[in-house]
Amino acid sequence: MESHGAHGIKVVAAMTGLDCHDRGLIYLTSVLRNAGMEVVYLGMFNTPERVVKTAIQEDADVIALSYLNDHLYMLHFPRVVELLKEKGAGHIAVVTGGRIAKEDRPRLAALGISGFFGQEATDEEMVAHIQQRVAGRRRAGSSRTGH
Amino acid sequence: MSGGSKIKSEARFEGCPVTETSAGMPVKATYGPGDTRDLGYSRDVGEPGEYPFVRGIWKDMYRGKLWTRRVFTGLGSASDTNKRYKFLIEHGETGLYCFGDTITHMGIDPDHPMAKGYAGVSGVSLVCLRDMYELFEGISLEDISVSFNNPSMAAAVIYAAFVTAAEDMGYDLGKLSGSILNEPIHLVHSMYDVNARPLELSARVATDVIEYSVRHTPRWHPIAPNAYDMHEKGANAVQEMAFTIAIMMEYIRRMLQRGYDIDQFAPRVNLLGCACDIDLFEEVAKFRAARKVWARLMRERYGAKSPQSWRLYLSAHTSGHSLTRAQPVNNIVRVTLESLACVLGGLQSFDPAGYDEGYYVLTEDSALTSLNIHNILAYEARVANTADPLGGSYYIESLTRTMEERMWATIEEMERMGGAIKATESGWMRDELERELIKEQSEVRQVKRVVVGLNRFVVPEEQEVPIRVGRDRPLEEQIATSEKREREIVELRSRRDQGKARRSLEGLRAASGEGINLVEPLRQALRADVTLGEALGAIRLGYGASYDPFGMVESPF
Repeated sequence: MESHGAHGIKVVAAMTGLDCHDRGLIYLTSVLRNAGMEVVYLGMFNTPERVVKTAIQEDADVIALSYLNDHLYMLHFPRVVELLKEKGAGHIAVVTGGRIAKEDRPRLAALGISGFFGQEATDEEMVAHIQQRVAGRRRAGSSRTGH
Repeated sequence: MSGGSKIKSEARFEGCPVTETSAGMPVKATYGPGDTRDLGYSRDVGEPGEYPFVRGIWKDMYRGKLWTRRVFTGLGSASDTNKRYKFLIEHGETGLYCFGDTITHMGIDPDHPMAKGYAGVSGVSLVCLRDMYELFEGISLEDISVSFNNPSMAAAVIYAAFVTAAEDMGYDLGKLSGSILNEPIHLVHSMYDVNARPLELSARVATDVIEYSVRHTPRWHPIAPNAYDMHEKGANAVQEMAFTIAIMMEYIRRMLQRGYDIDQFAPRVNLLGCACDIDLFEEVAKFRAARKVWARLMRERYGAKSPQSWRLYLSAHTSGHSLTRAQPVNNIVRVTLESLACVLGGLQSFDPAGYDEGYYVLTEDSALTSLNIHNILAYEARVANTADPLGGSYYIESLTRTMEERMWATIEEMERMGGAIKATESGWMRDELERELIKEQSEVRQVKRVVVGLNRFVVPEEQEVPIRVGRDRPLEEQIATSEKREREIVELRSRRDQGKARRSLEGLRAASGEGINLVEPLRQALRADVTLGEALGAIRLGYGASYDPFGMVESPF
């Protein structure tokens, strides 16, 4: 599934907290790599601090966060966005997947978090969504400051 | 034709499109005598209860004793879980299941910085000795078996706490039956790999539990390697059993090195905790083949002489990843099929997943439904009347043989690598799992693997058959529960006899450094109100590793 616009996009893929259901993230990583994106796979057990630090160090375009087990992503994900802002890295888009409850989505969406890929998301949808997010950011000409 | 478009049945002429099993074994349209002609009944299959135990480990199978009927349990505090146990026993449960919360699995305490919000969430919080009293308050432990799903190294603490509490409650340790997962190698592939490190230490501690249990709790199964998580992380049916048996061989090696005779301990290290997925015939053949592989391994390779050493006990949790969030009522059908496979496969125990497992920890509703899947299979469906009812089927016997051959090939490949730990450290197993996981997920995405409600026969949410599903506790409540637990543990530490606690931790650290069996020092530490995270920290320090598996907490002593 070679997709031209995917080349040059760099994604940091991570799970936060102690959730260990990483099937989705492993699969997403393989899909994004096959599409030509570069993925820095952080795996499980990350603090928001580590995710953001890595994304900045790696000069990533996107952070992909996955969570399945419970609601604690509502602590972790907003903190990722907050840290990105604090560090002047607001241009990095945050997308999520796993099991993100419908009732939580508006709050996350208001913070600029998107995607919410579940079991049913197709490869094409996930790739296209990330491309759009990155294109949107680049068009908006967000100033890449802070590093 | 008069106007208006008519609806057409799109699937009317579809045949069964699948020509292989989930693990990729080719399946012919028909099987016949030619497919099993070279199988000698007594040599290759055997009577139920006889070597090589393809048809089950007991002669009378379920006529003698039905399988142990468990349901996934573990929520909130020990006393919350105790209430659920009593409810389930009242409705026919014959074996308890104990699933720890994530931080218990990780072997850290509720006041650890990574633990914020996690205590008592999706499992029971077990941190200290008094939790064990609460967990089993009012339940006769000599009359029910307990299956603890705690991986190593936390398992050593949980086992020590269980034995100590049971003794204090007046039970005869010789009569305690059940099992503890107690295995770290799988963690590197499946879940909490932080807690599995250093692997050499955690494998040694797991062996300590085996050794102690063989001496003191002779009816207990002190290790039940986690084939389930292997499967859920991608392993196909062949890999699931081959990897797990190869893992068990690491502990057999260690026990032999400690000077035990194979027949002294093999009858206690012969239990695997499997998955049972939706491919019914493949799962049945998987269980049958695994029993034969084990029996031959014990007798031919290790020279075990006791038939009890040749018998492989099998338990299973039906596959969580086979379930869907869409149309949760369909999950009851899936779990029933998987449970049927467990019965037809001759398992000793299993726990049918909750239909709402994709939503939250089982509610009373879904736990009761899971329990009644047991009850209906055991008492209504007459599927337990005779041993191995699929035995002799051309297809099943042929598939069993193919799977056995493939399991051997994988086990031997791993042996050539130097065993399961080497195959883990080199990354070989992880690569194998990832390849299978990605293959399966791509097949689902491409609808080569149909999942009803997910990639075919999807209905809008408002049309779903209504059924009550578990709701996550709101975030605030989850955090409040966890914080309460955190306060309890901090208070426990402040109230205890500090000198005694410190001395016992020093003792544990020294024992770990000297490489002596750690179960007795753990029991002493638990009596001094030492907590799970502290005890494991002392063990790690003694070995020369960091106190905290995350490197975030300083050693308090």
